[in-house]
Amino acid sequence: MTIKNLVFSVLLFLGAFSFAQSTLVTQIEPVVIADNVLRKFSNSQRLVTLNDSIISKNQPTLTALLNFNAPIYFKENGLGMIASPSFRGTTAQQTVVVWNGININSQLSGQTDFNLINASSFSSIAVRAGGGSVIYGSSAIGGSVHLNNELKFKNQFNNEIQYNFGSFSTNGLNYKLLLATNKFSLDFSINNVASKNDYEYLDTEQKNQNGAFQNTNFNLNFGYKLNNFNQFKIYNQTVDSNRNLSGTLAADSKSNYKDFVTRTLIEWISTQNKFTSVLKFAYLSENYKYFEDKDFNVFSDGKATNFISRFDLTYKVNSKIVINSIVDYTKTVGFGTNITQNQRTVFASLLLLKHQIFSKLLYEVGIRKEATSNYESPFLYSFGLNFKPFTWYSFRANTSRNFRIPTFNDLYWQGLGNRNLNPEIANQVEIGHDFLLKGLSFSMTAFAIKIHNMIQWSPNSGGVWTPNNVKNVLSKGVELNFGLDKKYKNHHLLLNSNYSYTLSQDQFLQKQLIYVPFRRGTFSAAYSYKNIGIFYQFLFNGLVYTSSDNENSLKSFKVSNIGVDFKIDQIKSLKIGFQINNFLNQNYQNVANRPMPGRNYNLTTNFKF
Amino acid sequence: MNIIKKSFLFLAFTVLLSSCSDESGPIAPLPLGAYENGVLILNQGNFGSGNAAISYLSNDLNTFQNNIFSLVNPTVILGDTAQDIGFFNDLVYVVLNVSNKIQIANRYTLKNVGSITAGLTNPRYIAFANGKAYVTCWGNGSSATDDYVAVINLTTNVVSSTIPVIEGPERILEFNGKLYVAHKGGYNYGNRVSVINSATNTVSATILVGDVPESLRIINQSLYVLCSGNPFYAPSETAGNLAKIDINTNTVSSSIAFPSTTMHPLNLDFYNNLIYYTINEKVFRLSPTSTTLSTTPLLTTTAQGAYGIYSFKVQNDKIYLGDAGDYISNGKVQVYSLSGALLNTRTVGISPSGFYFN
Repeated sequence: MTIKNLVFSVLLFLGAFSFAQSTLVTQIEPVVIADNVLRKFSNSQRLVTLNDSIISKNQPTLTALLNFNAPIYFKENGLGMIASPSFRGTTAQQTVVVWNGININSQLSGQTDFNLINASSFSSIAVRAGGGSVIYGSSAIGGSVHLNNELKFKNQFNNEIQYNFGSFSTNGLNYKLLLATNKFSLDFSINNVASKNDYEYLDTEQKNQNGAFQNTNFNLNFGYKLNNFNQFKIYNQTVDSNRNLSGTLAADSKSNYKDFVTRTLIEWISTQNKFTSVLKFAYLSENYKYFEDKDFNVFSDGKATNFISRFDLTYKVNSKIVINSIVDYTKTVGFGTNITQNQRTVFASLLLLKHQIFSKLLYEVGIRKEATSNYESPFLYSFGLNFKPFTWYSFRANTSRNFRIPTFNDLYWQGLGNRNLNPEIANQVEIGHDFLLKGLSFSMTAFAIKIHNMIQWSPNSGGVWTPNNVKNVLSKGVELNFGLDKKYKNHHLLLNSNYSYTLSQDQFLQKQLIYVPFRRGTFSAAYSYKNIGIFYQFLFNGLVYTSSDNENSLKSFKVSNIGVDFKIDQIKSLKIGFQINNFLNQNYQNVANRPMPGRNYNLTTNFKF
Repeated sequence: MNIIKKSFLFLAFTVLLSSCSDESGPIAPLPLGAYENGVLILNQGNFGSGNAAISYLSNDLNTFQNNIFSLVNPTVILGDTAQDIGFFNDLVYVVLNVSNKIQIANRYTLKNVGSITAGLTNPRYIAFANGKAYVTCWGNGSSATDDYVAVINLTTNVVSSTIPVIEGPERILEFNGKLYVAHKGGYNYGNRVSVINSATNTVSATILVGDVPESLRIINQSLYVLCSGNPFYAPSETAGNLAKIDINTNTVSSSIAFPSTTMHPLNLDFYNNLIYYTINEKVFRLSPTSTTLSTTPLLTTTAQGAYGIYSFKVQNDKIYLGDAGDYISNGKVQVYSLSGALLNTRTVGISPSGFYFN
């Protein structure tokens, strides 16, 4: 309570101060993305931003993009099926997806399905490994993935049509419009991907008999600059997905899963001298329907809505100190076939400070406290350092306490949910070294995460499953990244490689968690000369255990993709790409008995006008 | 001399010949297969993971092997979520719920024979009558009205007809040409037993028993049904009961209720004129003539490191228990003497769900 009061008083003080200072009219850094704290307060953690040129090179799902470009492990139930990400030996529920600054993990399942997110809808995607609950709230334990739409106020008018087709009757169509002046900015896109997805299971006579899917994403983002001090922005995303759920080598499937998700965010950004205030209202809704038999109109469903109002105030004390305070009120309502209707309201307040002590050293501090009637909410903090003694070397260190609140399924599942659940709490520490010299980069991060009170659904002696705060996990490991970006005349070479080693143990069993690979590595190389480019991607995923006693396992796999693209000079804006995925035709499984496709092809045409 | 020599040769020749052609006599019969004289332990595996497996433990408890089906048939995947095993003649029929199939193998060698994949939606348990197999099927789990018993022609291995039944048919038992089906209720909570006449393949009666009839046994010419009662996550939790049914009139002749609504008995068995059942990690027994339940367990598994009792069988003067543990790691089988002394513990596959003596 005292902390909450403290945060409150600080906020009140800052609020009062901001109104007292409204005479001077100089503008601070323009807010381009809605997630205005992301870049400001990620100096002591590794933030990797994938821009639109990398996004467009990959297949449209976020899974395909990040699998080969980020230190994230994916558990994918077959191509296009539910894909759950995890960082640093944690779970998909301990990974948060942030859409334009808003945490969009499902209130029901606690996670985000990366195969439902079309990467081409966004201007940039950032990956931030490590804790982030102070800023992003629940689930930001292992790491966070940030989907951003940038709304710039500068003259532009771009149309882009992308059509791709490939193996297994896969068709994708994207249209994107960027239209902006110095007064308004529009970012509109619509994309549709459909696939029969009936690939053969290599070395068998079976195929993926129930894998067809169709996903449509609709995005409309609009910004209006009233004057130099006030901007209004609206972000909207609608996702409509209809997927059959693949069976396994052991069982065919007849089931189908439909998702319908809407996200709307309205913000008013006001800058006055040293202050930037952002008032946000967001409304998120999710709705799923599960059909055990797709030809039979009986289903179970779940719905949740989330209303968020947030006030975010940044005060740039001087060139060295930035203070950011945020108050957030979130009301969530969930109901469905298996959960009784319930609601939860959470009031959160947080304070962030960045202080550049001198040009080579900065620290950042954050604190957060939530108040809710449903559970006891812990005090969260983060503290980070960045020391850059040379232009080519920096050292960073970060420690934080993060959490994950119980989902509606955990709390209210008919008959089994446990209303006495408390949040999971994760204390973590990481240190890293970053080297950057003439286009060559190398970074090394060591981390340790201790998760207490982890929520686990487990059976009692009568075989009845209920969730309880019973598990304790210690995850530790290292992450290495190597990069090269060299341009010489018309030649451009890009290399990127990630490697991670993760030990993530259940503290009671003293065994590695299931579906956490010890070793994982990626390598990608892209070379272009004038209008021709070639690229190669490689993923190594080490052995994972599939049972908690580590007696059953799934073997490691290696998969490689190659591709080539041409820009047609006469028509400057036409680009054609051809890609061979899994070109060595490896028979591999990401989840036991759910084979991934063998060699397959994809042709992309991209027309800008 | 010559004659003697010739007759000796003749004699020798005939002895030799006869010993070649005649294999009867004192020589022991060849074993039918490696998995005779023991118990097949069915490991259910995880839903959706396709890791069902069978383990073997010999009756003398000395020979033990895991994954015997895949060892014998390395290219065949047994299937997903093994629910039940039935023996008929020389064959074993393994019912695989999520795979919607029955895998057939030689019961002694486990050599794969084939599978039945058509006409089975959510198959659960199997019994045999009149030369046919009867398999309880939920149909779509989310539909209360499409449940049935599939009748399988064992010559052609085809579902030859279906018998519609009320929701959630589970265990099935054959006695005197009749099939008794316990309706646990599928996704809901049942309270009846259906009686099927195998001569006409029709439901001849449904008998109201207690909530959630879980297991069935014929004991001294009567049908005993152990009802678990509604679990705590049901709309209302109810106590279990043990119902005795007169199979001539298909009526409940007597019933013993469990004293507490939180007691949910499972695993009815009958051996040496004693009734056995389990509650959580405890094993109880009582005489069929008893009108009251025993209050002290014969044994409790927790002291031996077992977590709960997922499967149970009394046979060959021994008590066999399957412990599924956390259901996502390999389970355990414990064998006890009839007095409750632990004789043997083995690590089996995931979720040991039944014992089938071969």
